[in-house]
Amino acid sequence: MQKAWSFKLTPTRYILIALAVIMLVIVLVRFILGLGVVTNLNDHWPWGLWIGFDLLCGIALAGGGFSTALIVHVLHRGKYLPIARAALLTSMLGYIIALVALLFDIGRWTNFWRPFFYWGYHSVLFEVFWCIALYTMIQVLEFGDIFLERVKSFPLKKVLGYAMTPLIIIGIILPTLHQSSLGQLYVVAVDKLYPLWWSMIMGFFFVWSAFFLGPAMVTLEGTLAARSYKRTPELPVFQSLTKVTLWMLIVYLIVKIIDLVYRGVFSLAFNGSFESNMFLIEMIVFVIVPIIMYAIPTIRTKLWGVVTASALVVVGVIFNRINVVFTGMAAQMGGHYFPSPWEWLVTLGMWSILILGYLFIIENFSILPKEEHAEEVAVSHGASVGKGVPSGV
Amino acid sequence: MTNHFVDYRNADVFLIIGANPAEAHPMAMRSIGMAKGKGAKIIVVDSRFTKTAAKADIYAPLRPGTDITFLYGIMNYAIQNNLYHHEYVVNYTNASYLVSPEYGFADGLFSGLAEKDGKLAYDSKKWDYQKEGENIKKDPTLQHPQCVFQILKKHVSRYDLKTVSQVTGTPEDVLREVCAAYCATGKPGKAGNVIYAMGITQHSYGSQNVRATAMLQLLLGNIGIPGGGVNAQRGKSNVQGCCDMGMLYHLLTGYLKCPDAPKHPTFKDYLKVETPKTSYWSNTPKFLISMLKAWYGEAATQENDFCYDWLPKLNGKDHSHMAIFADMAAEKVKGLFAWGQNPAVGGPQAAAERTALEKLDWMVYIDVFENETAAFWKRPGVNPANIKTEIFMLPAAFSYEKEATVTNSGRWVQFRWKAIEPPGKAKSDLWIADRIFKAIRQEYRAGGKFPAPILNMVWNYDLPGHDEPDLEKVATEVNGYTVADGKVLGTFANLKDDGSTACGVWIYCGYWAIDPKEEDPRLKVPAAQRRSREDKSGLGLYPKWTFSWPLNRRIVYNRCSADPAGRPWNPEKVLMAWDGTKWITNDVPDFKAKDPVTKEPVPPEKTANAPFIMLPEGQGRLFASGMKEGPLPEHYEPVESPVKNLISKQQNNPLAKRWKGEFAKLAETASKEFPYVATTHRLIEHYQTGTETRNSPWLVELMPEMFATISLTLAGRLGIKPGDEVIVSSARGEIKCKANVLPIVKPLRVNGSTIEIVALPWHWGYQGLAQGSIGNDLTPYIGDANTSIPEYKGFLCNIRKA
Amino acid sequence: MPKGVLVDITRCFGCRSCQVACKQWNDIPATPTTFSNNWDNPPELNAYNWTRVGYHLIEKDNQTKWRFVKTQCMHCEEPACESACFTHSFVKTKDGPVIYKPTELKQDFCVGCRYCMIACPFNIPKFEWDKALPFLRKCRFCNDRLHEGLEPACVTACPSSALKFGEREELLAEARQRIDANPAYIKQIYGEKEYGGTSWLYLSDVPFEQIGFKTNVSEKPIPLYSWNVLKWTPYIFVGWGAILTALYFYTKRRAEVHGEEMYAALETMEEEKK
Ligand SMILES: Nc1nc2c(c(=O)[nH]1)N[C@H]1C(S)=C(S)[C@@H](COP(=O)(O)OP(=O)(O)OC[C@H]3O[C@@H](n4cnc5c(=O)[nH]c(N)nc54)[C@H](O)[C@@H]3O)O[C@H]1N2
Ligand SMILES: Nc1nc2c(c(=O)[nH]1)N[C@H]1C(S)=C(S)[C@@H](COP(=O)(O)OP(=O)(O)OC[C@H]3O[C@@H](n4cnc5c(=O)[nH]c(N)nc54)[C@H](O)[C@@H]3O)O[C@H]1N2
Ligand code: SF4
Ligand code: SF4
Ligand code: SF4
Ligand code: SF4
Ligand code: SF4
Ligand SMILES: [Mo]
Repeated sequence: MQKAWSFKLTPTRYILIALAVIMLVIVLVRFILGLGVVTNLNDHWPWGLWIGFDLLCGIALAGGGFSTALIVHVLHRGKYLPIARAALLTSMLGYIIALVALLFDIGRWTNFWRPFFYWGYHSVLFEVFWCIALYTMIQVLEFGDIFLERVKSFPLKKVLGYAMTPLIIIGIILPTLHQSSLGQLYVVAVDKLYPLWWSMIMGFFFVWSAFFLGPAMVTLEGTLAARSYKRTPELPVFQSLTKVTLWMLIVYLIVKIIDLVYRGVFSLAFNGSFESNMFLIEMIVFVIVPIIMYAIPTIRTKLWGVVTASALVVVGVIFNRINVVFTGMAAQMGGHYFPSPWEWLVTLGMWSILILGYLFIIENFSILPKEEHAEEVAVSHGASVGKGVPSGV
Repeated sequence: MTNHFVDYRNADVFLIIGANPAEAHPMAMRSIGMAKGKGAKIIVVDSRFTKTAAKADIYAPLRPGTDITFLYGIMNYAIQNNLYHHEYVVNYTNASYLVSPEYGFADGLFSGLAEKDGKLAYDSKKWDYQKEGENIKKDPTLQHPQCVFQILKKHVSRYDLKTVSQVTGTPEDVLREVCAAYCATGKPGKAGNVIYAMGITQHSYGSQNVRATAMLQLLLGNIGIPGGGVNAQRGKSNVQGCCDMGMLYHLLTGYLKCPDAPKHPTFKDYLKVETPKTSYWSNTPKFLISMLKAWYGEAATQENDFCYDWLPKLNGKDHSHMAIFADMAAEKVKGLFAWGQNPAVGGPQAAAERTALEKLDWMVYIDVFENETAAFWKRPGVNPANIKTEIFMLPAAFSYEKEATVTNSGRWVQFRWKAIEPPGKAKSDLWIADRIFKAIRQEYRAGGKFPAPILNMVWNYDLPGHDEPDLEKVATEVNGYTVADGKVLGTFANLKDDGSTACGVWIYCGYWAIDPKEEDPRLKVPAAQRRSREDKSGLGLYPKWTFSWPLNRRIVYNRCSADPAGRPWNPEKVLMAWDGTKWITNDVPDFKAKDPVTKEPVPPEKTANAPFIMLPEGQGRLFASGMKEGPLPEHYEPVESPVKNLISKQQNNPLAKRWKGEFAKLAETASKEFPYVATTHRLIEHYQTGTETRNSPWLVELMPEMFATISLTLAGRLGIKPGDEVIVSSARGEIKCKANVLPIVKPLRVNGSTIEIVALPWHWGYQGLAQGSIGNDLTPYIGDANTSIPEYKGFLCNIRKA
Repeated sequence: MPKGVLVDITRCFGCRSCQVACKQWNDIPATPTTFSNNWDNPPELNAYNWTRVGYHLIEKDNQTKWRFVKTQCMHCEEPACESACFTHSFVKTKDGPVIYKPTELKQDFCVGCRYCMIACPFNIPKFEWDKALPFLRKCRFCNDRLHEGLEPACVTACPSSALKFGEREELLAEARQRIDANPAYIKQIYGEKEYGGTSWLYLSDVPFEQIGFKTNVSEKPIPLYSWNVLKWTPYIFVGWGAILTALYFYTKRRAEVHGEEMYAALETMEEEKK
C-alpha cells in the first residue's frame, strides 16, 4: 500500500521555492566570489546572521529534538509520544540547516572535511563541530527508522532497530554537550563579551535554555501544525509539558542571578547602558513573564496561554543568542554590521527549505499522529519506541 | 651643520626651531632620542605642535615669521641674567671688537641705507670694525659702548619677554621656561644644540633668522663642542653635495665665489677681491687654480690665467629660482633644463610659474617620473594645442639604480652602491650629462660662438667596454690629483697655485684617497667608501665611516671645545685637549695643532684667538657686516602679515626681494580679506612635490589627500568639520582640499588679538597615483635678501567651506 | 629562547616606517584610503595591514600629548587563537611567533570559520573577505626572518629604537630597568601578564587605557578558560551517558509495570497497533 510521493503546490509554497532558488544563486556567487561580495561581514563582525541566527538559534530551536527524546525515550513518558516524531523531524531539519549554514559561512569551504581528520581538541569548536556532525548523523539514522518504514524496507529497519537504544542515548549526550559548548564557545570571549552574558557557566545556560526551549517549541509547532492540518492541538500534552518548562525556567533564573552576584557584576544589569537594558528585557519579558504565565493555572490551561508563554520562551532564547552574538560583543568588536539583503535572502531561503522539507516529510511520512494516518503512526511508533526496541539492549 | 647627526647624542639641551625632524629627518630623531634617553632636554619651537614637539620637554608655539624675536628673547635673557658663556664670548667671538662710530640703528633700520638704481641697499662700510693700522680695536672687558657686545646688548634689550610674547604669541611663562632651560647651556661643559631647517630659512629675512641662531650659540659657547653647534638639517639627501659642487648660481665649487663680470673682470681682480689676508680663504688662489686645472687641463696655463676668462660670469643680477621664472614669464628665458626638479608644484606662486613654462620654446625634462612640470602642457585647464613648447623627456635612474656619493647635512660624503638596474631606458644622470655634453661639443666642433671652453673642457670619463662613464675618473677629478702623475691627493693642504695640482672641489680633497696608513684591508678603499664603526673617542665621531669634508673633520671649529689654555670645557667629552706638551685630538683639528713645517705641536695660546679659521678675523661673528640687511638681525614682519610690526616702524625687511606684475600679488597688512596666517610644512609620508612618493602606493595609502590643518576654534567658528571640503585662498589664488581639524594648531594671542594659523602641506599635484591641490598656488613671490629663498612660511590666507 | 619585541611608546615618533617595512617584506599591496583627520591611515588592521601605528592626541590640563602606538599581533605566550582553532592552524612556535600554518607552512587545514577572530582578545586575526578561498591574516613576527637570524622587518626599519627585538626575558628585564630609571614611565609592562603574557611588550608614559589598550584584563591565559570548561567533556560524556542509560532502563521497567495509568497515550497506540 505504498503511496506515491506527493507534494501539493500552493501559492505559499511557490514563494518558498522561489526563495530557495534565489538562495541557491546567491550561495553560488558566494562560493565563487567570496564572502565579502555577498555578506556585510567584516573584520569587526566575523560572525553575522548565518552564524548568529541560523546556526546558534537554529540549533537551539532544534533543541526540541533532544529534550523530547529525553522525556519520551529515556524517561519513557509515553504520553509525549505523539509529539516525539515531529520534534525529531524539526530538530533534524534544523541541524541540517545549521550545518548547511555553516558550510556557506566558512571561508575555506573546500576544507570543510578537514576537521574530521584534524583534531584540535583544545578548541570548544572542536566539540561543537564533532557533536553537531555526529548528532545530525544520528538524527538521520533515527529518522532512517521512519524512512525505512515509509519505503517498507523492514529488514533494514530491523537492523537499525537494534542500534536504536544506544543511538538514542548518544543522541541525547551529544546535543547536551554541543548545546552547552555553543555557549562555551564564548568563554574565550572573556573581556570581549559583556559580563552580563559572559560566564564560565555559559555552557550550562545554553544547554539548559535549549532544553526548556524544547517543550515550548513543540507546543508552538504542534499548534501551528494542528492549525494547518485542521486538527485539534494536543493541549493536554502541551499542558503537562509546561511543568517541565516552568521548573527549568525557575532554575535558570536562580542560577543566572547567583552567577551574576558571584561574579560581582549584578549591578551592571541596572547601569542603564544599552547592554543592561537588553539584558533586562531578556530576563523580564522572556524569563520572568513566562514563569508567571506557566505558574498561573488559569493561563496555563488555556491554549492561548500556553502558546503565548511558549512563544515568549522561544523568542527569549533567540533573543538571548542574539544578545550574546551581537549586543554583548558590540562594544569590544567596534565597527558596524547589519546583514546585507543577500544574507537575509540566504537565511530566508534556508528556512524556506526547512519548511518545504518539513511539509514534504509530514505529508509523505507518518509523523503527526493524524487521525487519517492513525494506522501507520501506530505501527511506526510501536516499532520505534518501547516494544520495538529489543529489550536485550 | 657645524656638527653632524650622530653627534646629537652628546647634546644636553636641544633647541629645535623651525625644523620637524620627526617628519623630515627621521634618522636624526634616532640620535635626538638617544640624547633624550641620557637625560637631554628637548625644546621645540614651531607654529604647529609637531610630531617632534610630541617628544619635547617644552613646546613653544610661535607665530610664523617671528623667530628673530624669539631668539633675541633668549639672548636678552642670557645677557640680562648673566647666563652667557663669558670666557667663550670674550675669546672666541668678536664681542670685544669695536665697531665704527658710523654704525647706527634707529626705527628698525641700520645706518647706511640708500637707494641706488631704484633699489634699496646698505653701505656696509658703515658697519666696519674700528682699526688701528691692520689691527682691529678690541675691548676685552666688553664695556666699551662701541664694542660688539654692548651694541648687541643694547640691540636685544628691546626684546624683553613681554614684548617677545606679544609679537610671537608664545605665552610668557613658556618663554621663560625656554629661556631658563636653554640658557643653562651657557655654562662651560654644557652643550646646547640648535637644530633648524625651513621654518627658519623660508622667510624674507631667513638668513637673518639663521644668523640669530648662530649668535645665540656663540653667546652660550655652543659652537665647536660635541653635542653643540648650529645644525641646519638640509633637504634632499644630497642637497649639501649639490651646494658643495657649485650648483648654486652664485657659487663655484667649494663655495668659491662665482666670478661676477662687474666685480672681477680679470683673474687678478678676482684673486685680489676674493683672497683675504688671513683665514683659510687666503688659499683661494690655490683652490681656484686647481679647479681651473681640473676643468681645462693642459689648456690652463699660468700664461693664460688658467683660462679664467673662459669661466661664465655673472652679470651682477639675481639668477635664482624666482628670477629665472620671472624672466621666463617675460620671455627672456627660452629654454629650460628641468633636471630633477618640479617647480610646477614646488615653486612659489606655482600657478604663475606653470604659466611661465608655457613661454618656453623648449624644455628638456630629466626625471624618474613624469611629474607636474613635465606634464605642464597637458595640465588640467589648459589646451595642449595652445602650448608650443617642445619637450624632450629623458628618463633618469633613481638613486638606488646608480652609484655615486651623497653628502648629508653633517658633511659626510657617503658612497652608495647600486642596488638594482634602472628600468627600461632610464640612465644615470651622469650618463645623461656625459652624452649631452658630448653632443654639444660635437655641435661646437662645427663652429659656434666662443667654442674654446667647450672644446677644451676636460671630459675624459669614458670607460672602454662600458656604457656608463667611469665614475672613478669623475671622482678623482673632484678629489684632486697632481697634474704630473695623476696621483690622488690626500688633503687640500697640498693644493698649489702654480698649476701643478688639479682639484674639482677643494673641500672634497681626500674623499677619494686611500689612507696610506690604513692597515685593515677592508678599509683600503677610497675614504668615501669606508664603513667602519670604530669610534675610539666614544663621541660618535666614527672617523673611518666614509669621509667628512673638510679633511674628514667631523665637528668644525673644534678648537672651541677647549678653553684658551687648551682645557676641554667638558672633560668627559673631549674633542681637543692640550696635555701640556701636545694636543690630544679625537677629531681632525680645525686649527694649527702642529706646525706644518716643523711638525712641532703648537701651544694653545697661539690658537686661542683664532678658532674660526674660515673667518678673516678668526673669531665668531656676533656682529656680521656681510649681511645684506644689517649686521644684526632685526625683527620684521613677513611681507604678508596680520599685524603691524610691534618692535619698530619698519614693517618689512626693506631688502626683501620682490617681483613685478603677476608676481607682485600681495595681501595688505592686517588684510580683512585674508585674515589668517598660513604656513607650509612637510609630512613624512611624502617627499617634496610628491613625484616619488605619490607614485608609491604604500605611501599614498598612508597619506592619500591634500588637506589644511586648522584649530578647533577656527573650525568651530566657520562651521567646518573634519574632512569637509574647504577652499583656502590667498592673494595669488585658491585651492580646494580637505579640512583637517586638530589641536596641533592653536590660535595665538598676538598683542591682544587672536591669530589663527592655517597649516598646509605642499606635496600634492595633478600627476601620480594620488592627486590633489598644489599648496604653492597660494605662496607669495617674495625672497630673502641674501639667498632669495621664497617666503613659503608665513603669508596671509582665508579659508571657507567649499 | 622565545623572542619578543619591546615597544617603547615614549620613543616612537610616528614615522610609520614599520608599517611600510611590514608591507614591503611581506609583499602586501596597498589598500585604498581616503583622508584621515587623525593622519593615521589606513584606519584599521585588516588582511592587508598587519601592523598600524595609531595616533592618540590627548589634551589634558592645557597640555597636548601626541602618542603613536604600533599595534600588531601580540604573539601571546598562550594564544587564544591557537586554542580556539579546531584545525590547529594557529600555533605558537618555540621562538615566539604565533604563526598561521596554511600560509606559513602550506599546511592548509583552516576552514575559515573565524572563531580565532572571536577568540583573540586583541582582535588581531583578519580575514581576506575579498577572496573566494580566504586565509586568515595577521602579523607573523616575520617568522622567516627570525629563522635567518634577522630581526622582524618593522624592527629593522624603526629609526627610533622604539622597537627592540630580543629574548623576551631579557626584554622584560630591560623594560623594568627603564621603568626604574625614569619616573615618567607608567609602572607597568603591558604584555608581561596580560592574558598570561605576550611576546610583544609595551612601555608607556601615559596610562595605557588612554592610548587604546585594553587594561584591567585577565591575567589568565585564555586557553585556560576554554580548557577549564572543555576538560569536563569526557566526564560529562561518560557520566551523562551512564545516567541516561540507567534512567532508560529504570523508567522502561517502570513503564512496563505501571504502564496502564501513566502512559495512557502509549497504551492507546499499542492497542491500536494490535
Ligand atoms: N618626508 C620628507 N622629508 C623631507 C622632505 C620632504 O618633503 N618630505 N624634504 C626635505 C627637504 S628638501 C628639506 S629642505 C627638509 C625640510 O625640513 P623641515 O624644515 O624640518 O620641514 P618643514 O616641514 O618644511 O618645516 C619645519 C617646521 O617649520 C614649522 N614652521 C613653519 N613656519 C615657521 C616659522 O615661522 N617659525 C618656526 N620656528 N617654525 C615654522 C613648520 O610647522 C614645520 O613643522 O626636509 C627634507 N626631508
Ligand atoms: N610651500 C612650500 N614650498 C616649498 C617648500 C616648502 O617648505 N614650502 N620647500 C622648498 C624646498 S626646501 C625645496 S628643496 C623645493 C624642492 O622642490 P623640487 O626640487 O622642485 O621638488 P622635488 O619633488 O624634490 O623634485 C625633484 C624631482 O627629481 C626627481 N628625481 C628624483 N631622483 C632623481 C634622480 O636621481 N635623477 C633625476 N634626474 N631626477 C630625480 C623626482 O622625481 C622629482 O620630480 O621645494 C620648495 N618648495
Ligand atoms: S635620507 Fe633617507 S634614510 Fe635618511 S632620513 Fe631621509 S629618507 Fe631616511
Ligand atoms: S594577539 Fe590574538 S592573534 Fe595574536 S597570538 Fe594573541 S590571540 Fe593570537
Ligand atoms: S578560521 Fe581557520 S584558523 Fe581560524 S579558527 Fe577557524 S579553522 Fe582555525
Ligand atoms: S613582525 Fe613582521 S609581520 Fe609583524 S608587524 Fe613586524 S614586519 Fe609585519
Ligand atoms: S618605525 Fe619605530 S618610530 Fe617609526 S612609527 Fe614605527 S615604531 Fe614608531
Ligand atoms: Mo629643501
